[in-house]
Amino acid sequence: MVNTTNQRLSLKDYVRYIIASVFVGFCLFPIYIVITTSLKSESDIFAWPPKWLFAPTFENFYNALFVFGGTGVFSFLLNSIVITAVSTFLAVSLGSMASYCLTRFRIPAGSHLFFFILSTRFAPPVAFIVPLYLMVQRTGLLDTWLALILIYTSMNLSLVVWIMRGFFESIPIEIEEAAEVDGYSRLNIFFLIVLPLVKPGLITTSILSAIMAWNEFLIATVLTQNQAATLPVYLAGFSGSMGLEWGPYMAVGTMAVMPIMIFTLALQRHLVRGLTFGAVR
Amino acid sequence: MADVKLKQVCKSYVDGTVAVQNLNLEIKSGEFLSVLGPSGCGKSSTLRMIAGLEDVTNGAIDIDGRNVVDLPARERDIAMVFENYALYPHLNVFDNIAMPLLANKTPKAELNERVCRIADTLAISPHLKTRPHLLSGGQRQRVALARAMVRRPRMFLMDEPLGHLEAYLRLELRREIRALHEETGGTTFYITHDQEEAAAVSDRIAVMSEGELQQVGTIRELIDNPSNRFVAEFVGEPPITIFEGISIRTDGLHMLGLHLQLPAHLQNIAERHGPSALGVRPEHFTLAPASRTGLAARVQSVQPMGEWAAILCDTPAGPASVVAATSDLPRKGESVNLVLDAARLHLFAADGRNLTMIEE
Repeated sequence: MVNTTNQRLSLKDYVRYIIASVFVGFCLFPIYIVITTSLKSESDIFAWPPKWLFAPTFENFYNALFVFGGTGVFSFLLNSIVITAVSTFLAVSLGSMASYCLTRFRIPAGSHLFFFILSTRFAPPVAFIVPLYLMVQRTGLLDTWLALILIYTSMNLSLVVWIMRGFFESIPIEIEEAAEVDGYSRLNIFFLIVLPLVKPGLITTSILSAIMAWNEFLIATVLTQNQAATLPVYLAGFSGSMGLEWGPYMAVGTMAVMPIMIFTLALQRHLVRGLTFGAVR
Repeated sequence: MADVKLKQVCKSYVDGTVAVQNLNLEIKSGEFLSVLGPSGCGKSSTLRMIAGLEDVTNGAIDIDGRNVVDLPARERDIAMVFENYALYPHLNVFDNIAMPLLANKTPKAELNERVCRIADTLAISPHLKTRPHLLSGGQRQRVALARAMVRRPRMFLMDEPLGHLEAYLRLELRREIRALHEETGGTTFYITHDQEEAAAVSDRIAVMSEGELQQVGTIRELIDNPSNRFVAEFVGEPPITIFEGISIRTDGLHMLGLHLQLPAHLQNIAERHGPSALGVRPEHFTLAPASRTGLAARVQSVQPMGEWAAILCDTPAGPASVVAATSDLPRKGESVNLVLDAARLHLFAADGRNLTMIEE
């Protein structure tokens, strides 16, 4: 990729590409299995040796959407989308504002605050799931969107604050001072000058926050029943009393990957590097 | 245009560094004042205090008779040009220039007209739709100048605006800055460490060192009548020659290898204040053949600069720098005599004061 077009690839480059391809293949293999299985008929799924070439069918998707559990999957999908979208938006907007203040204003013990914010992620979620359950139960938020939105937002805040710090620090302070002298208030400077310059950071943190919220299982499964349950909770429910329906299971799995993948790919195109390049010498 | 008075301005930072001490300075309405000084002398802190980007620890800054130290930068109606341009990288040239006008909600038609006019003046019209990173350094600084001027502020602050440019561009732009100033007549506070640049653009020059104002005057005044040894050594190219270890007797000034009769009033001052050093501008030495009177010297190096040459000599009292016309230059290693112009020399007291300036 680094090579210019008129340069011939050396042996070292080939080796590099081969190693990279093997690694990527290794990582993507489970996803390949999920997607192909979702497209196989019942008999093809259990064939041994595995059938690499098969006639694709959409019967698993049909069964998953309309036969198993009626149209339940759509409400789980809606829950996932709402909770992910709102918590991501909150985490990124609140987190970047907090991060900006901590980078640009002289705040007593500012660097300790940064550490403190990150330290909220030190404990594994399973360690505080019981107190969390009690808090949510006492506030009457069990099985609601709000409970998961608040928890995911706070979990993602530390990530956003830390990643955005580097982006804010990379903006030359003179640009903001110029805007100050030009007649803009702090708030205007933040929205008109700073945010456009840290767009890559906002996109990166949005993607990471959304992926985390979309895939989180432990907290969702403990705090929700079915009103606010998300897709991972629904997926886990497949291994129930009737044994495992592999086909529809994989079909829902495939559908669960799609929205977040589309979201990521769509945002990624806007990840332009070097926005601040050329502002100052 | 604004009249600016700094009164007893002090600035110290949280870590205890004192950047500016008791600064009293007036910038008259329409005046172009340069501040000259080595890095860390407090000139940037002063500018940033006027801009409102830095708090004033003590003292007052009056703009048109009103103390502005409590006003935020955006309410001071001052424009600033930064050393590193500080353009908005995500906006094109037009929008960059328009930003100050958008801040004060200028009507669209007037905004368009003013941006285009200033872009014309600064010869950046062809680049209005370009983003800053595609421009050269000189073009970027023109955009920054346009952004500062488009608003017609009551004052301009320029913080080494030409510091990052190549030599030929620096000459070109400083001529333009001067021309623009003569056209618009805006009060300007200009920071530089290049005395030639300061002399070229400004009406008066203020010299600062270690947070204190040393002297304010035209370049001629600073060179002919420096108020102290710092100004004498800092201003003037090639630099002034300082001889230490002088003694004053009833028959004049004595130092290693030289006895010099002083004019009566200088002799008078010298006897009463006991100067510790003698300063001589390079142009106040005359090169004479080795046999004549004066300070015996040996030519160390000769640097032709066109019309004239800078000559460095070794004398018993220390090194001396001399200028001479290129037509009649000594060779390296040659022995010469340096004749001093007794009426033009400077006597410095131990605390640096220029005794020659004392009125009797």
